[in-house]
Amino acid sequence: MALNNNRLKRVLMGTGALALAGLLSPAALATDAQEIIRDRCLACHTESSDAANSTFSRISDQRKTPEGWHMTLNRMEHLRDAKISAQEKRELIKYLSDTQGLAPEEAAPFRYLLEQDTNLVESGVDENLMQMCARCHSAARFGLQRRTLDEWQMLVDFHMAQFPGIELHAGSRDRPWYQLAHNETSAQLSEQYPLDTPEWNNWSKAKKVDLKGRWRVTGYVPGKGEFSAWMTAATDDDGRYNLKLEGNYADGAVIEGSGKATVYTGYEWRGTLTIDSVKMRQVMAADKDGQVMAGRMFLAMEDEIGGELRAVKDTGKAQVVAVMPSYLKAGESAELVIVGQNLDGDIDLGDGVRIDEVIARSKDRIVVTATATGTPAVNDVQVGSADSTVALAVFDQVARVDVTPTNAVTRIGGNGGEMEKVRATYRAIGYSAGADGEAGTDDDVRLGYMPASWSIEPVDEVAEHDKDHLYAGEITPAGMFIPGDAGPNPERKMSANNVGRLNVVATVDDGDSKVEGRGSMLVSVPDFVERVLD
Amino acid sequence: MKHLKSLNKKAQLINKAISPEEVEDVVAMQTVVGCTATTDPGWELDPFGGLGSLCQPMESDLYGCADACWWPAQVPDTMNTYPDWNKDVAKANEDWRKLDGIYEDGE
Repeated sequence: MALNNNRLKRVLMGTGALALAGLLSPAALATDAQEIIRDRCLACHTESSDAANSTFSRISDQRKTPEGWHMTLNRMEHLRDAKISAQEKRELIKYLSDTQGLAPEEAAPFRYLLEQDTNLVESGVDENLMQMCARCHSAARFGLQRRTLDEWQMLVDFHMAQFPGIELHAGSRDRPWYQLAHNETSAQLSEQYPLDTPEWNNWSKAKKVDLKGRWRVTGYVPGKGEFSAWMTAATDDDGRYNLKLEGNYADGAVIEGSGKATVYTGYEWRGTLTIDSVKMRQVMAADKDGQVMAGRMFLAMEDEIGGELRAVKDTGKAQVVAVMPSYLKAGESAELVIVGQNLDGDIDLGDGVRIDEVIARSKDRIVVTATATGTPAVNDVQVGSADSTVALAVFDQVARVDVTPTNAVTRIGGNGGEMEKVRATYRAIGYSAGADGEAGTDDDVRLGYMPASWSIEPVDEVAEHDKDHLYAGEITPAGMFIPGDAGPNPERKMSANNVGRLNVVATVDDGDSKVEGRGSMLVSVPDFVERVLD
Repeated sequence: MKHLKSLNKKAQLINKAISPEEVEDVVAMQTVVGCTATTDPGWELDPFGGLGSLCQPMESDLYGCADACWWPAQVPDTMNTYPDWNKDVAKANEDWRKLDGIYEDGE
């Protein structure tokens, strides 16, 4: 399957800033970065200094993620005519996110935006902030910032001046939007997302673990499948990590690639690799011990197309990190791949699971044929004395199928125009009913990702009447939704675009029965403004 | 409202809404990340979560609907931020293929 959607402009215009930033020694970086600020920013900003440190007006009163600082610098270049070279920009992003970043706990609720995993409806957003701020952009965009009250107020003022239409929207024009935003919403934001927090205070002082080394990586590439690989991160002369990735997809095909990574704020991993000739990006967060990283890997040219990614450091310890697939039907046999490191000793898949044959075995990958002879259970996967939190679910029946993403937006494009189509990839997750025998309850047992056949249907009578399912796009057997062509369509009423509201239907075969799950898909018009963070 | 007759689909939909509170509920709904919940008019969705009240096709009155900065996170704001975005596309319904995106330096 062709992964590329040829959104070349993004790559050509991008400088790879986040993956390319060098890792000078902290002291050298701080001195250099402060000099860059003095050279490039003090036409507008001012410096205050005491014996201990320098502070810069506005800049020192905010904390952001690497992507957040990147956006700030982009805005300074575009709107304030700041002259900053690409290298200076990289150094500033590194310095600012290291010294004024977010603690792991602060970024945790919003990792989806950093990971560009945006086919979701944000949950738990304060109603007021939803109406005042998140009606145009994501709630994560401001949730990933920390500011003083003054700074939140100035952000409101910037919005008011830059986008005056903001006062005229529904939800604004019926009330004094600016006064509310400036006085009340800013205060709410400064309480919810203040500059000074115990989390940052602790994290900024904590000793950071070097993430160089050998990592056991598991992940998913749309169209290719689940994979396991080794990724080595070696410190280069420029302070970045040189990456090499080698492994196999679940079907045995080779996955191979190399690239670079930079770590920000002591835990924010940003990698760019060319894997099987396709440029991909990694966004992961390391845990505090620097032993496990988790996040997402996606196409550099099409960040909607990607999958989860997890890396466990090789410390010489025996560990099981995954079993693929993670389920086995009672009474049936299947081939299972156990992924880990330093694996030695007997393989135990739990009571009632018989290992018929060990097809291949190494220290990090074991392929077996196993038969579930017992009753449904969730079994630990054990190899010798290896650490394992990996489970194999033995099930009797698929009771429920969830489609992921549950809510997605794709966008029409192509047809000779500048804007490319924005696609989406789907997966089906199977569940058994659990002890209560009823699907859709809390005790349902997640079995894992399952093969499915895919189809689309109109979401309701209106969509059916408008033939959305015929015009808005199609889904491939592998679960890739490809939206329709851009431009007015004379075949549709009023020459409407090929937009539509659809359900994406996954059908999972479970013996003689079929189980369906649905996701909601909006096929929409182009998004002409592509920010680092939406 | 009792003396006014709804003439188009959008007006009929508004009439069908049971109460102002119900309209408010829909207006405040959350959308998929990257979409706007500003729906008067909307870019991706109309106030009822559908497509029936959108400007369609969007090219036919893009500049009137986008109104220079109505959806600045989705359509370049030509009032302040990207004044030249559409300078070569006087008629979007004819030259929509030339409309390009704003790609922030986002690698």
